[in-house]
Amino acid sequence: MTEQTLEIRRSSASLWGEKTGLRHLPVVAKYIDTTTCIGCKACEVACQEWNDLKVVPTEQTGSYQTLPTLDAEYWNLIRFQEQELGGGIAWLMRKDQCMHCADPGCLAACPAPGAIVQYENGIVDVNPQQCIGCGYCLSGCPFDIPRFHAKTGKMAKCTLCVDRVSVGLEPACIKACPTGCLQFGTKDDMVARAEARVEQLQAKGLTKAALYDPAGVGGTGVVTVLAHGDHPEWYGLPAAPRVPLTVRVWKSVLRPFGLFAIVGSVVAAFAHFMSEGPKEVRDVDGEVGPRS
Amino acid sequence: MITAAPHTSLDVAALARSREDVAVGEEIVRHRYSSRALHWTVALFFFLSLVSGLPIWTPLFGWMAPLLGGLSMCRVLHPWAGLLFAATSLAMFRHWWRDMRLRPEDRAWLRPETVVSYLRHTREDALVGKYNGGQKLFFFAVMLGALGLLVSGVVLWWPTRFPQGVRVASILLHEVTFILFTVAIVFHIYLGTAALPGTFAAMTRGTVTRAWARVHHPRWYREVTGEDARGH
Repeated sequence: MTEQTLEIRRSSASLWGEKTGLRHLPVVAKYIDTTTCIGCKACEVACQEWNDLKVVPTEQTGSYQTLPTLDAEYWNLIRFQEQELGGGIAWLMRKDQCMHCADPGCLAACPAPGAIVQYENGIVDVNPQQCIGCGYCLSGCPFDIPRFHAKTGKMAKCTLCVDRVSVGLEPACIKACPTGCLQFGTKDDMVARAEARVEQLQAKGLTKAALYDPAGVGGTGVVTVLAHGDHPEWYGLPAAPRVPLTVRVWKSVLRPFGLFAIVGSVVAAFAHFMSEGPKEVRDVDGEVGPRS
Repeated sequence: MITAAPHTSLDVAALARSREDVAVGEEIVRHRYSSRALHWTVALFFFLSLVSGLPIWTPLFGWMAPLLGGLSMCRVLHPWAGLLFAATSLAMFRHWWRDMRLRPEDRAWLRPETVVSYLRHTREDALVGKYNGGQKLFFFAVMLGALGLLVSGVVLWWPTRFPQGVRVASILLHEVTFILFTVAIVFHIYLGTAALPGTFAAMTRGTVTRAWARVHHPRWYREVTGEDARGH
């Protein structure tokens, strides 16, 4: 949903005038410490409750995971990964949801004006009134997040509880977390907190612990502390996510080139008509042929 | 060759319903009714695809979306219009591909210097049959284009059923093919109307004048009438 009270920094398929306000709001972020997550799924339930989404039955896949992947009516999923490690197994949990990229690939790929917006505070949101359900956002997303809802014909994903955040509340998932592994605040504060936690973990022997805030998408609105920061793929996270180069080429090169080519062909035809004129056929016997 | 005279325009129109490549008085039937109906059916679905696709392509053409009931309607209509365009294009391929096979003289026609002389109207080529090399090349190019648009379009229609690599490749294929296709259609329309007077009637009424045929398609003229293209 779009929040009328929040100013928009960027809007999909905008040619001009997408920024709607002057106020500088602090960019917000979620802090996720995967080392203190206990997999209780309180955040999943809170998300469903606050957003009035239906009860989704668990799909048994041989793990504790509720569903194999995100759903149009399930925006927040704890992923359970069993990673073989030094003769034992590391049981890794990670909160999968929209990353609220600073440079969102979904927004870059979206063809519907205003269907994906980035608010001044960094939250990336789908506006169902403008969304046409084409799914291009999915092709632009390096994290495989947006989901198509067959009933509405629109895309759906985590809103970072923009309705709560815009009135000064923390997102529902944060509110419900019993261990404090989920926290919410300004991006700067959350990064500082995560860096301190990474230092603590490294001091305790987890020397590869790291902060996941990938620069390829301009940083994310979700900062994640990983115990095995050298292997984000163990958590189901891409090592170096970027907005696909093809999406950039498509929007920044092919689109202007195509406009130029199509308009240019009309201009070329008109120029040819002016310089060479129509090739008349003189309907007189024996006097046919090109214009002299 | 039909030579009985005089002929009324009604005679010509009646003949043009079922036969082509026949001369009637001063006119020659170039496209029979089924050829013309097929051409305009493809054109209709092309333009429906174009008008429903352009507002999705860039917001610069967003003003077109209300013509079809909004952008969401465009998203719903575009794949169906495209599917019908592809299906009728296939019918068109079956209808015309034999006539469009490239002959050695067509390859000669397609050399850059001869294409330039064609565009400068300084060319007289006695070997041009019913279709010149450019028309034949255009035919196969748009058929290939229709195939590319169909294949990539199916992926874009159901994006969640294909992996990311296929989706992204299809976006690029659809984009590039659309641009080349539309440029080709702009020149096709220009050459079929303003550039070559007398040509448009071949696709509406179905007929051209003898003089038109002598100038633009002399070998075809000889084949249809048995006369020399010089008209003597």
